[in-house]
Amino acid sequence: MSNSEHTRILSRLPETESVDRESVVSRVCEFAKSNPGTNALLLGGARVGKSEILRRTFDRLFNERGDVVPFYYAANHTCIDLTGFARDFFSQFVTQLLAFKHNDAKLISNDAEAFSIPARSLPDDCAWIRSLMDSFAQATKLQDPIGLLRCALSAPEISTLRGKLVPLVLIDNCHLLGESGFHSELLRALRPATPATIPSPVFVLCGLRRAVVELIPPETELFDRLETIEVEKVDVQLYEAFIGRLSDSRGVETNDSTIELITQQLDRDLFYGRAIIEAAASRDVALKSFMDFQRIYTSEILAGRIGRYFDALVRETASDRQSARVALNALALIEEAGSPLPIDALVERVSEHAVAPYELLSKLHSRELLTAGYGFVSASTDRVFSDYIRAKYRSEIAGASQPIAGNELLGEKLKDSYRMMMTRYNRAIELQVVEIVSRFDFQSVPSSLFDSVSFDKRYRGLGRVQVRRALTEEQERVRLPQTVVVHDLGAGERLGLSFRLFAAKGFEGGIYTDANEVLWLIGLINSKEPLDVDTLVEIDQHLEAAVRRQTILFTSRVLRWYISKEGFSAVASDRLSSLDSYSSTYAQLDLLQDYLTSLALGGDARPASEFELVIPIDGDAELIAARTAEQIARTADFDQDSINQIKTALIEACINAAEHGESPDKKIHQRFAIDDNRLIITVSNKGKSFGRANGQSPPSVPTGSKKDKRGRGLQIIRALMDEVEFERTDDGTRLVMTKYLKRPDVN
Amino acid sequence: MSARWRIQMSVAELRARLVEDAAVIYPGPYLNQLRGESIESQCQELLASGVRRIVVNFQDTELINSIGISILLGVIESVNESEGALMLSNLSSSNRELFEMLGLLSHVEVEETEEIALLKLAEAGRAPM
Repeated sequence: MSNSEHTRILSRLPETESVDRESVVSRVCEFAKSNPGTNALLLGGARVGKSEILRRTFDRLFNERGDVVPFYYAANHTCIDLTGFARDFFSQFVTQLLAFKHNDAKLISNDAEAFSIPARSLPDDCAWIRSLMDSFAQATKLQDPIGLLRCALSAPEISTLRGKLVPLVLIDNCHLLGESGFHSELLRALRPATPATIPSPVFVLCGLRRAVVELIPPETELFDRLETIEVEKVDVQLYEAFIGRLSDSRGVETNDSTIELITQQLDRDLFYGRAIIEAAASRDVALKSFMDFQRIYTSEILAGRIGRYFDALVRETASDRQSARVALNALALIEEAGSPLPIDALVERVSEHAVAPYELLSKLHSRELLTAGYGFVSASTDRVFSDYIRAKYRSEIAGASQPIAGNELLGEKLKDSYRMMMTRYNRAIELQVVEIVSRFDFQSVPSSLFDSVSFDKRYRGLGRVQVRRALTEEQERVRLPQTVVVHDLGAGERLGLSFRLFAAKGFEGGIYTDANEVLWLIGLINSKEPLDVDTLVEIDQHLEAAVRRQTILFTSRVLRWYISKEGFSAVASDRLSSLDSYSSTYAQLDLLQDYLTSLALGGDARPASEFELVIPIDGDAELIAARTAEQIARTADFDQDSINQIKTALIEACINAAEHGESPDKKIHQRFAIDDNRLIITVSNKGKSFGRANGQSPPSVPTGSKKDKRGRGLQIIRALMDEVEFERTDDGTRLVMTKYLKRPDVN
Repeated sequence: MSARWRIQMSVAELRARLVEDAAVIYPGPYLNQLRGESIESQCQELLASGVRRIVVNFQDTELINSIGISILLGVIESVNESEGALMLSNLSSSNRELFEMLGLLSHVEVEETEEIALLKLAEAGRAPM
């Protein structure tokens, strides 16, 4: 039976209305099975579906009927005093335990209280459960809340000791359990049984991140043994599919662009998405335009399910209406500021109406409605919550009527719609640029890809396939550097134009020296018209300023590359040419990406037959050599095993050269040469010999002493490479290692 | 892309965790002198605190150099001398080949996975002496 075919017991959403979280569910199940006595936190942002993951975990383990007995408990507002919690927790634990033992899920769905189950109905092998229930009843009579809580929380452990069962205790909404008495008793329950050979229950705690991570103090042993299971937001594709599925099932008409906007604006939030589709379904309206969606969105924020959800969140942090008003006021002030506000300044603004302003901010922080640091407080990054706060402030504090507040929000969101969709498009191109530049690795590419005028002259009117073919025959080439790092220098926009700037640092020529270091300054421009010279100059000034602002050091060689969607005006092209700057359109960028991919896949173009590499004798520099060797060997068609052997041998050669060479220039020089059937790597240094220049055999197999470790290095090199030779040079020693694509015939 | 890979390799931290009364150590992507010495000191601390069963999990270890191997051999000896037991797990084929070539496998047992290694160590701990 597949996982999706399991009977639903606690999970609330059918497959068609949820997103695929099976991998996380599997992880929690595996954790419980393989780590008895340990605990985990299930962490993730608000509304990513953590509760449903826990409920599905319960269902899966219940249906599997294995050794692990699932128990799911969701804390709630009605049980936040110790006695209420203890009674509810114990009752649900026994109910779910009996349901598992009887393989009768109805016991749970009937919501039967454990105390209402007649003791005589328990089978004989459940005598210990009867005694557990008796003990709890006795503890209730004593009217000691802490004792009662201890009794409830120890029930899972007693099940392992007396019932030979290993419960997986899934506690949801832990952020609601803030009482100090509760905290210490929970820590007691989480401690594994002693001695360690006795199995203990597994606890998985879940809730709002900030409150949950504080449950286990870092100085305790529990903290060291704590696992963390992260739940990420669903990716864009999954979310779009989820919205599409949900709309279909509710009979709400949509189209691709509205679904894209919903995905962007709701930031892939599952709850918001469901609320919007349900609202559209209940009003029988389609979501086929931005206006359709923004109308539903605005009404949801002001008076729909999303608005009521936020109302409840704000109310939870406030003891009365006045405090709720202060909370709303504080949140609106932070929102309006647009940047972090000093806490003291905020407190001063709201203290007139608040009894305990710091406590209120602390509550808002732990409920993740704002972020409070030591000195500053900043707004939530949830854009939907920001919209709620602005609209709510207008209607409840500034006194605007709800229709007016709604219309203002609607206007804002409609204006945002276009910008949001453009941002999405731009983001895709920006990621493409970063990806392409990160792949620069000394490749030789057609120069017309970096010269928009020459490209236009050569290939105007040709189709993409024809251009790709022609590019492989182009004689003029540009040798790319090897990129070390790409910095994002920020973005800017004005009417009809937006741009993003990058700086990429790397080396040219395969030799890592100051002279070969190069800085590429890259401007990516999205405009409807070819870029004119004035705008080009303006963007160039932004570029220089951004580099200085981010304190990126200029290298001896600086190169500019402008990529403009619609190309450049004639004057702008002349200027770029006179400055020796590169210029490309988005189309050239795509072709460059194709070209680099074909090189990586071993297309027509072969890498240069010889490379040189100089690395410093420092840190893990030999890894740079290994990485270079890997790329060269891969393009020369060596298999993965051989590549691993080459890398390991080269690392040993570098360590040898570093340790024994006493090289005055503190550098190791390498050359990689490829011919038809072999890769020859030469590693040389200046100074005394390393290895055995006179051709003697390396030392015998070491005995294990660290002093013998160099013998191991030579042994490794000889074993992994096909030919190894040491040569003495005028100023040092050279080790030449050869690996054949296929070993020469030993016969 | 390649640059990021290198940076990650060079800043990789040694990770370890306790599983009941055993410990699992993860050497990270590159077992060199630095990480070998980290394993050595970690094992010394574990032995001093009474942990006698140790698994070194090479799942994320892409490269190993001879200095790292030498130090690892010393660690194996130290654990044996302290009447503890150490096992290796999750070795890639090339790392296994390297260990085999240097005779390391005659000093230490290797298991396919960390879980099996822990299980075997636990069973060995329960067996009558």
